Amino acid sequence: MRLLEFQAKRLLAEKEISIPKGALISSPNDLQKIVFPALLKAQVPVGGRGKAGAIKRVEQAQEALPVLDEMLASTIKGHPVQAVLAEDPVEVIGEVYVAYLTDKQANMPLLMASSAGGVDIEEVAHTTPELIIKRHIDPFVGVQDYELRFLAKALQIVDLQAFADFIRKICAASQELDATLLEINPLALTPSGLIALDAKILLDDKASYRHQQLFSQLKDEQKKFDRTAKTKAVELAEERQINYVSLKGNIGMIADGAGTGMLTLDMIYDMGARPANFCEMGGMANAEIMQRTIEVVLADKRVEVLVISLIGGLTRMDEMAEGIVRYLKDNDQSVPIVIRMCGTKADIGLPMLRGMGLDAFEDLATTVRTAVEQARNL
Amino acid sequence: MAILIDENTRVLVQGITGNVGSFQTGIMQDYGTNTVAGVTPGKGGTEIFGIPVYDLVEEAVRERHVDAAISFVPARFAKDAAMEVIGSSIPLLVLTTDGMPDQDVLTILRYAALKGTTVLGPDTPGLISPGKCKLGVHPHTMFMKGPVGIVSKSGSLSYEVGRLLTESGIGQSTVVGIGGGPIWGLSQESVLRMFEEDPETEAIVLLGEVGGRLEHDAAYFISLYMKKPVIALIVGRMAPEGVQMGHAGAIIEGEEGTAASKIKALKKAGAIIASSSLNIPELIKKVEV
Repeated sequence: MRLLEFQAKRLLAEKEISIPKGALISSPNDLQKIVFPALLKAQVPVGGRGKAGAIKRVEQAQEALPVLDEMLASTIKGHPVQAVLAEDPVEVIGEVYVAYLTDKQANMPLLMASSAGGVDIEEVAHTTPELIIKRHIDPFVGVQDYELRFLAKALQIVDLQAFADFIRKICAASQELDATLLEINPLALTPSGLIALDAKILLDDKASYRHQQLFSQLKDEQKKFDRTAKTKAVELAEERQINYVSLKGNIGMIADGAGTGMLTLDMIYDMGARPANFCEMGGMANAEIMQRTIEVVLADKRVEVLVISLIGGLTRMDEMAEGIVRYLKDNDQSVPIVIRMCGTKADIGLPMLRGMGLDAFEDLATTVRTAVEQARNL
Repeated sequence: MAILIDENTRVLVQGITGNVGSFQTGIMQDYGTNTVAGVTPGKGGTEIFGIPVYDLVEEAVRERHVDAAISFVPARFAKDAAMEVIGSSIPLLVLTTDGMPDQDVLTILRYAALKGTTVLGPDTPGLISPGKCKLGVHPHTMFMKGPVGIVSKSGSLSYEVGRLLTESGIGQSTVVGIGGGPIWGLSQESVLRMFEEDPETEAIVLLGEVGGRLEHDAAYFISLYMKKPVIALIVGRMAPEGVQMGHAGAIIEGEEGTAASKIKALKKAGAIIASSSLNIPELIKKVEV
């Protein structure tokens, strides 16, 4: 889950990390909450907001109102602006970049810093990679003082104590929150100490069971501000936590594995047709998940034929067949369904499907070809 | 032996009395896997399929001698279970568990590196050495003994390709799924190296997908180290940019993650590119194994 800036900053403040004073504005009526001069920052889950015109400085209320009106009606990189964070401008002496994240290649937490603060880090990595410093933090050893001295020296930071304290806090916060990324960019050096001017936090959804209250509060809050237009299928998929991606064609697709799901899509394209979606249930699917997933994919009315691509290892084909049968009992079949089924317990599952008069094959290419032909003959 | 396991491998199953654990243990048992012990805390002293169940891994190791462990423990308890296996110095752990927090996986992998345990996964179907040993959840009728090694990010894709090869009369030495999660233990390169050194493997099929730079690293390794033919398939060719295709890593962010750039790198490294899963058997026949 990617947090919005105001959510990330609220969490940082709770961990005693300094952030600018500010107020969240969700309508022009909140104008009196703003202390001038102020920075107005559109709350959208994307980077590069400065360049996209999503951050503006205003000196007084009269000037603020039209800016606020426009910002709240705008869309930044496909995201309708949900709310605006109004912050006190901070007197900045220097800006640096710091982040704590998981290095997936080394399987280690990584502390990353750069003297090029306030710039998109991808851009720094591309143009001046020598300005990025990376130090792995062994989870069994933790951050050592010499690492912090090393970083402070590289970033030319004078107040070592304050910097060390700040870095230790973001490392600890990241671990406590199960963040996969905690990025402060820029971290401002100011006369009154170090202040996180912007913050990006990615939380590990797989760890939500450890933070149930916090994660659901953050999610509810995002929902409240989210005005992105969503199709019924996407909405249903989010609600049911089903992995669903909408595409542009007319052939619906459900798979029980990501790899075969992508392979099935490739085959649909290779046979000259277009998939309506990608949808994968994961290895632990049961009859209930199968049934609910068909409901999601068929909520998209562009779907004219549905391909279900199943190759059972951990997934049991008797349960998958049960899920499909249950769907057909509860619903009128609106489109042809073509099923590929083989693997664990397919000897039970296949006869169940064929008994219902469904097209079911053991071979994937035959399945996709049949579906593509049916779509053509509609 | 093929790689990592063979008919003599003595296996311990964690979570052996659970729904998934017991179901899969039964299938492994029928296949001929030498399962010598099971562990479920609180169920010590019982038996399942004639296999003794212990409360603690340490007890099982002391009484039964164990070469490899496979875990069917749910995500919430999987870290503790994995640490127990590593703490007991079992050389190989197959972690089938899906959905473990990244931080838990990092801790497990760090401890495993310190103690010398090889961790396959998490979120892996495990591995199968057809005719010898199945340490995983593969639908085994899709595989047969032979000279082709398969290494795959995706479990389901390795079943699919195994099945196509078997139908064409081409057997496999070992089929390894490295795991679908964002972080995993045993690397693609390590598996490639094992296949290169394994006398029973004559050709390798590498199955990859869009997103990340895994196959770029593999390509570099192939160019440096591999003498045996490598046939590669990358799925998700038409995936749009910026959306996650199932696996946590299967998201195209920048040129490097596209199928086209991966295929180019693998081709340059000397790998043979399969344009579809359906071409793989014929490409294997061409390299004359």
